[in-house]
Amino acid sequence: MSESTRRVATDVGGTFTDLVAIESSPDGIKITTAKTDTTPPDFDKGVLNVLTKGGIKPADVDFMVHGTTVVINALTERKGVTVGLITTEGFRDTLEIARGNRPDFFNLHYEKPTPFVPRYLRAELPGRMTYKGEERTPLDTTALPKILDNFRQEGVQAVAISFLHSYANTAHEEALLHAVKKLWPEVSVVASHQITREWREYERSNTAVLSAYVQPVAARYLGKLNESLLSQGLVNSPYIMQSNCGVDSLAATSEVPITMVESGPASGFWGAAELGKLINEPNILALDIGGTTAKCSLIEGGEVRIMTDYWIERSRKSAGYPIMVPVVDLVEIGNGGGSIAWVDEFKKLHVGPRSAGALPGPAAYGKGGVDATTTDANLWLGRINKDYFCGGEIQADMSAAESALNIVGNKLGVSTDEAAQGIVRIANNNMVNALKLISLNRGHDTRDFTLLAFGGGGAMHAVALGQELQVRKVVVPAAASVFSAWGMMMSDLRRDYFVTHLADLEEGAGAKIEAVFAEAESKANNTFAEEGVDTSKLSFLRYGKFRYQNQEHTTEVLLEGTVNDATLSVIAEQFRAAYEREYTYRLDAPVEMVGIHLVARAEIGKLKMMPVPLGDTDASVAIKGTRNVDYALEGKHQADIYNGDELKPGMLFKGPAIIEDDGSTVVIHPGNRVSIDAYRNVHIELENQS
Amino acid sequence: MSDDPITLEIIQNSIQATADEMFAAMRKTAMSSIIYEVLDMGTGITDARGRIASSGAGIPAFIGVLDKSVQFIIDKFDNDIKPNDVFITNDPWHGGVTHLNDLVLVMPVFVNNELIAWTANIAHNSDVGGMAPGSLSGEATEIFQEGLRLPAVKLIREGVTDQSVMDIMTCNSRMPDFLLGDVWAAIASVRIGAQRLQGLANKYSVQTFQIAMESFMDFGERSAIAALADLPKGSFELSEAQDDGRVYNVKITINNEAFIVDLTDNPDEDAGPTNTSRDGTIICAQMLFKSLVNPDTPANDGSFRPMKVLTREGSVFHAREPAAIGFYFETEVRVYDLIWRCLAPHIPNKLPAGHFSSICGTFVGGIHPDTGRQYTIIEPQIGGWGAWEGRDGNPCIFSGFHGETYNTPAEISEARNGLYVDRMELNTAPGGEGQYNGGRGLLLDYRIRTENGFLTAGYTRSKVKPWPLQGAEEGSGNFIEVTKADGTHEQYAFVSGLSLTTDDVIHVITSTGAGYGDPKKRDPEAVRLDIKNGFISAERAREVHGL
Repeated sequence: MSESTRRVATDVGGTFTDLVAIESSPDGIKITTAKTDTTPPDFDKGVLNVLTKGGIKPADVDFMVHGTTVVINALTERKGVTVGLITTEGFRDTLEIARGNRPDFFNLHYEKPTPFVPRYLRAELPGRMTYKGEERTPLDTTALPKILDNFRQEGVQAVAISFLHSYANTAHEEALLHAVKKLWPEVSVVASHQITREWREYERSNTAVLSAYVQPVAARYLGKLNESLLSQGLVNSPYIMQSNCGVDSLAATSEVPITMVESGPASGFWGAAELGKLINEPNILALDIGGTTAKCSLIEGGEVRIMTDYWIERSRKSAGYPIMVPVVDLVEIGNGGGSIAWVDEFKKLHVGPRSAGALPGPAAYGKGGVDATTTDANLWLGRINKDYFCGGEIQADMSAAESALNIVGNKLGVSTDEAAQGIVRIANNNMVNALKLISLNRGHDTRDFTLLAFGGGGAMHAVALGQELQVRKVVVPAAASVFSAWGMMMSDLRRDYFVTHLADLEEGAGAKIEAVFAEAESKANNTFAEEGVDTSKLSFLRYGKFRYQNQEHTTEVLLEGTVNDATLSVIAEQFRAAYEREYTYRLDAPVEMVGIHLVARAEIGKLKMMPVPLGDTDASVAIKGTRNVDYALEGKHQADIYNGDELKPGMLFKGPAIIEDDGSTVVIHPGNRVSIDAYRNVHIELENQS
Repeated sequence: MSDDPITLEIIQNSIQATADEMFAAMRKTAMSSIIYEVLDMGTGITDARGRIASSGAGIPAFIGVLDKSVQFIIDKFDNDIKPNDVFITNDPWHGGVTHLNDLVLVMPVFVNNELIAWTANIAHNSDVGGMAPGSLSGEATEIFQEGLRLPAVKLIREGVTDQSVMDIMTCNSRMPDFLLGDVWAAIASVRIGAQRLQGLANKYSVQTFQIAMESFMDFGERSAIAALADLPKGSFELSEAQDDGRVYNVKITINNEAFIVDLTDNPDEDAGPTNTSRDGTIICAQMLFKSLVNPDTPANDGSFRPMKVLTREGSVFHAREPAAIGFYFETEVRVYDLIWRCLAPHIPNKLPAGHFSSICGTFVGGIHPDTGRQYTIIEPQIGGWGAWEGRDGNPCIFSGFHGETYNTPAEISEARNGLYVDRMELNTAPGGEGQYNGGRGLLLDYRIRTENGFLTAGYTRSKVKPWPLQGAEEGSGNFIEVTKADGTHEQYAFVSGLSLTTDDVIHVITSTGAGYGDPKKRDPEAVRLDIKNGFISAERAREVHGL
């Protein structure tokens, strides 16, 4: 026992609390999974329940990671606390003015999102900084006691502070933070610079406000969870999954919980990057298909792309709300296994974004669903095994699926088969367009990438998407349905620092730019050290954000070594090359730096994967039967059905085939060549491609 | 490859995605803030005959522009259209539609030497020459004073840039670096689009690609005609006095097959720059038509087939060459609002009360005190929108002319333009009260930091205010005011080239939207909250709401 290490990931979702435990020992790796109901409002109970169900004693756990949707839920369900905002004189309405855009522009009844703080709780104080960080007018806090009295009377539970140009000079925000804490020690308070050092006052103010809005809720949640686990014998507090693909300490997350807002998809994409390193595939299009949505992200050179241009509730119908925190760059569309197919008044077929959810679910669940979903179409076409539906847990109701598909077919004037094929093709097209957004649209050639598909539905559609995008190959990871939890256990302790700093790349700028990086690095060093992390294990990635003079949007460039005047011309050339790749042309204009993006990370108890020697190439022992499968564009074929649990490293076979395990179905098209690697991942080489 | 409905749908989606991609590429690479932030730009794809198939647009006013440019170029060049050519135009009498600042780049798309489609891009360039910085002047009386006219010429011949044309363009601009950056961004945009369309046609065959475009337009027409059924039938007429005393008139006839906008009975063209071309007028009617009949479906050539627009040549809505047209947008927003107002009482479920309804085009320039470089602010403003049954109007969003457009953050404006933004807040001036209130307009103060600055602006709805419905109050009006460093204060609606110096303050004031319904019927709780929020004084609440 002493040589083995037990790592546990728990994930609290809206409906279920999931557990994945990995015990690694010299003999290999043992994976345990379990699922229980989520238990609001005492979420810690569900976590303890799922540990018990999985047979895990907290005292035996060496390393625990926890993911939760508590922040995004509190935001979307409007279950945060009453917030008061203190801002610069003349700018109390920044939250309500927002950016003035009308995304749904032909709709004259467009409704602008309502700010999270009403006008009577938005207070102003005199004091101004310039964009260079110089004080123009001193901060005057004379009115503060009166403002706080009013906040108390109005039931404010959290205070947000956001002053103009605080990204360049934090002094006024720090002074006010201090003053508020002194006058009202019990209240939760956050200043914008604690979360972001980037410019744009609406985005930064809204970020501070939303962080304040969820802070008491999240801190209570994390505190209770920690207490319960420690009292049950857990030795080290769990780490908390973040939106930037890293984990952070529970204590730090409790202070600024807004950083977990999009942590759900992040772990899967991190897993994709880590798996890529393991199997020597540094360039990956990662695709996660769940029940209601599909999400995708591009990984280049083994690195995920982290951005701070994140918005909630933003769509073609609404401007949404910005949250300026580091979030993995992803595109999400309303297309998952449960997405409903529908025909509009002009006989056009659509799939999603409405989903049948868990209840009633796809028609084939037999729980009263009458709408055809992508899953029903996949069942009808023989791609999903009707006799092994949901790992054999549900008896597929094929007559319900048929009548649901018939409704679609009748509206289109086509057969049931054609309706099902149409649904799969439209769903695939939606996903191809999402994948193009993260690749072709940004100047990446998909032929240089490997498509990595996971989540419950990823493997079903991956080959068709890969063929359309002409990717190098398709990889489906072992245990694809719990891949996100695996990703959590591969995460580093990671923080992303974004600082706005304007500089022309000319003589004298080198030292100043170096100073901005150095300041951020020293801040990171101190923060990690305070948490007891050995800072010698800390590593940094330095990105600069550049543009041609007078432009607005920036291109990130990874910088090597220290910056000085001598390296500026090299940096400028790196930018010009990166810009040309993305936008097809170069300009003879000067290059300007707009800010830095520093990644600080330290490995903490990360799982080490051990390869298994490749064995016999003959995969026939894993074949459990054959069936007729409709591949939509390629027609119907008799396919070998493989039992995923029986596939061993080194095995080789060809499509048409299907691989089934209790969590996912891999659809392998005619002509595809399949190999199982040393970690039991499924590699699919597409026909006519090298 | 077959042309089954699913394949056609997939091609149509991909064409839309291409127009969006062209838009994203332009936005990210442009140099002028009016392009990348205000998104005063649009992209479009037409079929081989120049009929609009798909638009990627930030603003509704640019949705139906590009087909007109492509059609002009087809007529003019006929047999001289070659693969990898790129054309440029900006002149409303040569396919340019709007005003000279808007450069239109157009590229034919060939597959195996067959012309299958066109990609096009329009964007507002910061300066194209002319009598005033920024090329727009309220003093202009003929188009020659508004910049360099590009009468639909080849900028790139079979892939080779015509440096002569490029040199003439940059030499005529006060901001040649911006112009060059923005033109190259536009070229990249049309090229990326062409590449994607070639890929589509190669994959699915040219024939299937063309069938997909055709059926997409037919779908647009069918959905528009189907939606006409929901509109009231008959003839409607409105005459409205303008800020300058002129009276505009519209007669609208709606039947089961057509939507006819008759603008023939209108004043002669203006001696100044507030004229629009006939094409510009058609676009305004198209915008409102689209809002009425099917705001959710994509707009293409078919969407507008049921609509007809009648104008009189030589009128303000159908200006003749060489009339000045620099401020065409203010005339366009007037005719757009005129049609809206004419129909609002008859279609209250689709049309709210009047909004601030002006571009409030504001142009400020000078030398940046920290960098020594020229800066130019070219921006439309946000303002209040009208209320409708059951809901207060939106505060501070862009006018009906603009759409997915973003204002400039104060932090960026101070850095980029070297002035101070003293305040940016909601305008709480009285106005717009009703059972449902109009949304609040904007108060934005720019404090100038150096000598030799200038201000040009053109606002309407300054005297004739946003119009209410069902007995509510009208909006508060749009103004531009200047407080000079010496304490003198002036209010304007139109101002041209006003010189500014250190510590002069420009006050941008935009209107509250108009209200809906009797103010006395407003929910007392809502009135109390308005008072608590400082949106209305207790005194004014007593006066209009009786509370």
